[in-house]
Amino acid sequence: MWWYDNKKNNTGEEEVTVKIRFFARFRELLGTDIVTDVAPGTMFTSLITTVAKKNPEGYAAIFDETGAFHEFVILMRNGKRIDIADADKTVIADGDEIAVFPPVAGG
Amino acid sequence: MIAIQTNDVDIGALIETAKKKGTGAVVIFDGVVRDDDITEMELEAYEDVAIKELEMIARDATEQFRLLHVDIIHRIGRLSVGENILIIVVSAGHRVEAYAGSRYIIEKIKKGVPIWKKELTKDGGRWVPGQHSS
Repeated sequence: MWWYDNKKNNTGEEEVTVKIRFFARFRELLGTDIVTDVAPGTMFTSLITTVAKKNPEGYAAIFDETGAFHEFVILMRNGKRIDIADADKTVIADGDEIAVFPPVAGG
Repeated sequence: MIAIQTNDVDIGALIETAKKKGTGAVVIFDGVVRDDDITEMELEAYEDVAIKELEMIARDATEQFRLLHVDIIHRIGRLSVGENILIIVVSAGHRVEAYAGSRYIIEKIKKGVPIWKKELTKDGGRWVPGQHSS
């Protein structure tokens, strides 16, 4: 399991470190294996929104014009799928591996 | 053997390994890169998760169809037209279970295992649309 120790930000608040993995077209637009520190209590949707906004095309690939995930986007936290409906109430924890990807096409 | 790898495999050797005591049928599924006016195909996987899901699919198929042996080898990286993408080998006492088990495995892979394909053409490339299912 990928893991980092807690860190403190400049206000002395403990931050959590997470890794974000994008795949396929999302990876081409946004990169992958992005390690970032976020404030405790950050929600899944908020984290991905912040990271995706660095590339408008990447953001548009993942989110619709209302800022909601496109219904086809697949979300995972530590290898387990998360429903889009639950993403804005899923708190990110230290050491989490978050994955966001388009529909699969193996085989 | 359950694997995600760049290298091809010796299907003949897999068939021999699949023959167990009680085997009456071995079914091979071999998915290959189709000549759809492409130069190559590029495959990508969320490997840690994909391997676990392939292992779970193999366990479920073994239990449900009383299989005696299962191999699933999914290749990643760049593949040329005609190369093997996915090899599924199942062994069972009878053909009915062997065919059904093989079909179950390929459909489960198509539906949910995190693997993607990009068709590379002279003009660039495009990601193969996936199924909208989790």
